[in-house]
Amino acid sequence: MFKNHNYYGKDWIKSMMQWLKKPWPYWVGGVLLGVLNVVLLAISGTVWQVTNGFLLWGAGALELVGFEPFKWEYFKLYNNRYEEIILNHNIFINKYTILNIGVVLGSLVATLLASQFKLGKAKNIRHILFAFLGGLMMGYGSRLTGGCNIGSFFSGIPSFSLHAWVFWIFITLGAWVGTRILIKFLI
Amino acid sequence: MKVRDLDCLYEACPIPLIKAIKELRRLNSGDILVVHSDESCVGVAMVEWAEQNNYQVKLVETEVGEWEIYVQKP
Repeated sequence: MFKNHNYYGKDWIKSMMQWLKKPWPYWVGGVLLGVLNVVLLAISGTVWQVTNGFLLWGAGALELVGFEPFKWEYFKLYNNRYEEIILNHNIFINKYTILNIGVVLGSLVATLLASQFKLGKAKNIRHILFAFLGGLMMGYGSRLTGGCNIGSFFSGIPSFSLHAWVFWIFITLGAWVGTRILIKFLI
Repeated sequence: MKVRDLDCLYEACPIPLIKAIKELRRLNSGDILVVHSDESCVGVAMVEWAEQNNYQVKLVETEVGEWEIYVQKP
């Protein structure tokens, strides 16, 4: 009987490992993200967003070297979003920062549970240059649209925001054009 | 029969898949392409693509966070 128990125990661990290691289907991820976003909104009053936290960091860094970014027109436009944080001087540590730390920690836990953690490396100068260029373009784009895939699209559509649908159409077109350029000229 | 290695370590999806498809075009029937990657989704995407296009495919996790994908041109 002991043996049997042991056998089933190992089986259980095996299927658990499989479940942690194998990528889950897209629909499972979609449902989970949707539910978690609703929970987040209900608890904290904020929907999931990523780049708004980075915007504040960037502006905070500029402020440290003597600029006055919070007087720029942009922050007048998005007054309702950032006013509280700016007035309280929580530029670097605020709810957006906590969300972003959560994303990093969550991914870390998931990859450790799958025992697939591995640090990435830059392959060559070209790799670094393209990563930098891509980051710059995405960052600038996310400021024009008021958020990234997450803030503007994923959290925008369920909030019945019309701009999320416009964002969706153009990010699809952009991804298509980007892939063409990638295939034709860069690989 | 040739075996060709394709180093796609540290490269993000979908670049390894595009590189592999381009490389497979250059290979002859029966040749094997070995794609090295450190992204789990590269393996998944390669296997999906290979099955759709009737290529023989095998995905092996060689070490922690590293995969080799074997694709044979039919």
